[in-house]
Amino acid sequence: MTGISNSFWPVRLASVVGVVALCFALDRVVLAAAPAQYRLLILASLFVILAVSLNLINGITGQFSIGHAAFAMIGAYTAGTLSKNPTFANMPPAQLLAVMTLIGALTAATFGFIVGLPSLRLRGDYLAIVTLGFGEIIRIVTNATESLGGSYGMPVAPKVQLLWWSLLMMAVCIALCRNLLKTTHGLTFLAVREDEVAGLAMGVNVTMTKVVAFVIGAAFAGAAGAILAHTEAFISPRTFPMEMSFIILTMVVLGGTGSITGSALAAVVLFAIPEYLRTLTDAQGKAYEMNAGLFMGVLIGIMIAVAASKWIQTNVHEKGKKLGFYAGAWLAVIPLGFLFQTILHLSPTLKQLSFGIDILRYAVFAVVLIALMLLRPQGIFGHHEIGWHWFRKRPAGATEGGAA
Amino acid sequence: MMSGLPLWADLSFSVLPQQLVNGLLLGAIYALIALGYTMVYGVLRLINFAHGEVYMLGGYVALFISWQFGFTQDALMQNSTREGSLLLLGLMLIASMLICGFIGLLIEFLAYRPMRNQPRIAALITAIGVSLLLQYAGALFLPNSPPPSISEKVNPYRGEWRITLSQPSGESVAALAAAKATLDQRTREFDEQIKQERSKFDLSPAGVAIRDQKNQADQEFNRAQTIVNGQKSEIVLPRGQVVMFITSILLMLGLNLLVNFTKMGRAMRAASHDFDTASLMGINVNKVVTLTFFIGSALAGAGAMMNTTFLGTPMTTFSGVQPGVKAFVAAVLGGIGSIPGAVLGGLLMGMAETLVVWLGYGSYRDAVAFVILILVLLFRPGGIMGSAAVEKV
Repeated sequence: MTGISNSFWPVRLASVVGVVALCFALDRVVLAAAPAQYRLLILASLFVILAVSLNLINGITGQFSIGHAAFAMIGAYTAGTLSKNPTFANMPPAQLLAVMTLIGALTAATFGFIVGLPSLRLRGDYLAIVTLGFGEIIRIVTNATESLGGSYGMPVAPKVQLLWWSLLMMAVCIALCRNLLKTTHGLTFLAVREDEVAGLAMGVNVTMTKVVAFVIGAAFAGAAGAILAHTEAFISPRTFPMEMSFIILTMVVLGGTGSITGSALAAVVLFAIPEYLRTLTDAQGKAYEMNAGLFMGVLIGIMIAVAASKWIQTNVHEKGKKLGFYAGAWLAVIPLGFLFQTILHLSPTLKQLSFGIDILRYAVFAVVLIALMLLRPQGIFGHHEIGWHWFRKRPAGATEGGAA
Repeated sequence: MMSGLPLWADLSFSVLPQQLVNGLLLGAIYALIALGYTMVYGVLRLINFAHGEVYMLGGYVALFISWQFGFTQDALMQNSTREGSLLLLGLMLIASMLICGFIGLLIEFLAYRPMRNQPRIAALITAIGVSLLLQYAGALFLPNSPPPSISEKVNPYRGEWRITLSQPSGESVAALAAAKATLDQRTREFDEQIKQERSKFDLSPAGVAIRDQKNQADQEFNRAQTIVNGQKSEIVLPRGQVVMFITSILLMLGLNLLVNFTKMGRAMRAASHDFDTASLMGINVNKVVTLTFFIGSALAGAGAMMNTTFLGTPMTTFSGVQPGVKAFVAAVLGGIGSIPGAVLGGLLMGMAETLVVWLGYGSYRDAVAFVILILVLLFRPGGIMGSAAVEKV
């Protein structure tokens, strides 16, 4: 880490102004060119916030949390409840959204502090279960509280859809996580991930670091939740199911635990694919339906290919042979899929069965999760970041991050 | 939804014994599932998230077997004998156990074995993935809420046993009889009166007076009824659930014999104590892991078969999540890795759940498991039967 050069503040100022200008410009462009995608882009940016903030807890600090949707839920319900208050209800929409985002973030941060405390005693899978349990408790209590609308949900007024604001929050979230890692404070997060005991011996305040990670992560999730509440104008416990936490987790794991850009990219891709599939229609303009037998066949084929790839990974060491084996395994998916389809179609019920393609997404997420863990547990980008340094010539011996 | 704490006076202690028994019967199923969690955790230090889904599939297996043999609700085996239906119940139990065992084996072989040398978190994410896959891919193919139980018509164990704990006192019974007589009298008078009225909703002053008298008598009758019910205390034991409980206990005793008195059981205990050293001592640890998954999943299958058969809970592919989570909490509560602990934890979990319902917080019955989990992990991470040491990873 070098000292601050003369060009630091001008460059920083220029990038901040540039990002803000870019957010406003994107907002205008989307509104003019593709107004139908406006809401979807807001949601995508919210998922980026959720994924990057979970990455701060899971990937960068190494504390395994799988209850992230609960923080978003806290933010959303805080915003939904407070915006009924006349003090806030008379504000102009943009100001209201900003205030609600801030309050939602603060409330969620408070809860993040409470959830962070058990992490001082628990590690690994036990912590995972506790965060999951915490998320479920929040959801069940909301479900049973009539003043919050219970299981029917709660309308949120006014409906405020502002792309530039959510993009700005996304930029703040990414910038905060990125810049944190460049400071000595950020290095303590990495130290906690890599080796707690060694970090402790080096004078890292492990307790503080873990709690701070939880608080920051929860605050951004709460902000995302508050924006979500005003974007959709309706929230219910079903908006934030346990599966939402798993989806965010999949984004983090797919992008590479510890890679901010990786999580952000994975969030966009995983959010966009189901939305894209939903718009697909066949020649008659009906929603595209997939045959159950074929889907099952392809699924089994992919699982066999994944298992074969794992075997190749461990047992074949010649490079040329390896590539050939991989190609063979993955090309075999197509004939295998059709073979299984033929077998499954011996049953008349299965032959009739078909379903809309958008309900397949959780099954696809699950397969992605399993395949990723088997073949590349560190995620696509590992600890690496996508950035300008890819195009710069690296000094000899220096590597960014390094694979886990 | 209750507002505020319930007053002790509002609680009906006469139904408490019944609730505790219900909790025990429910807890037996949790204990069966918890055994699978605790055995797998003991050997591999892995939370097998997909265990709840194995349990769910066991229920479907039992249903499909019962359909295959004509146990559907309309085409019931009309002329089946008691022996015949007993045989079929046995067949369903064995089929569920075997198929679940093999599903468990398959999951272990395909998903967990390649992860053996990876960090535990990676294995945990794989387990979450398997669990999601079984839920959502299953939801595409398996029917939702298929006509569930065979319990009412062909079940050889229909009916119930009643155990009376205390009888209502003579005077309160007499008061109830008197109140009933008054109510009958007033109702008759009101019925007479209504014939002379223009309509039921447009009464003359005399009619209103008679109606008020009738309502008052009704209230008094209800009051007397409440007193009698409060004094009467009995336990209703549905026979199917008792059979379920006994079967569970037998299976657990069998597991205890297997683990403590056979060579394979000793190998399992050794692997659970120290996996690497056990493999160095010539124990085939892969065989142990295979057997552990098979037995754990088979027990879950048995629990699922009995649950769908005797309780007739409607099934979806997501119905394994809640029992799975509760059983996991039961395993942690009893001390994860400890077999008697899992049984104790399961029974306690069942009772905790029914007690929460009894207290009037029925909508929180799914949250109580997590509250217990967090408290146990914070204050005694080893559980009741486990060691109190904080785990160092």
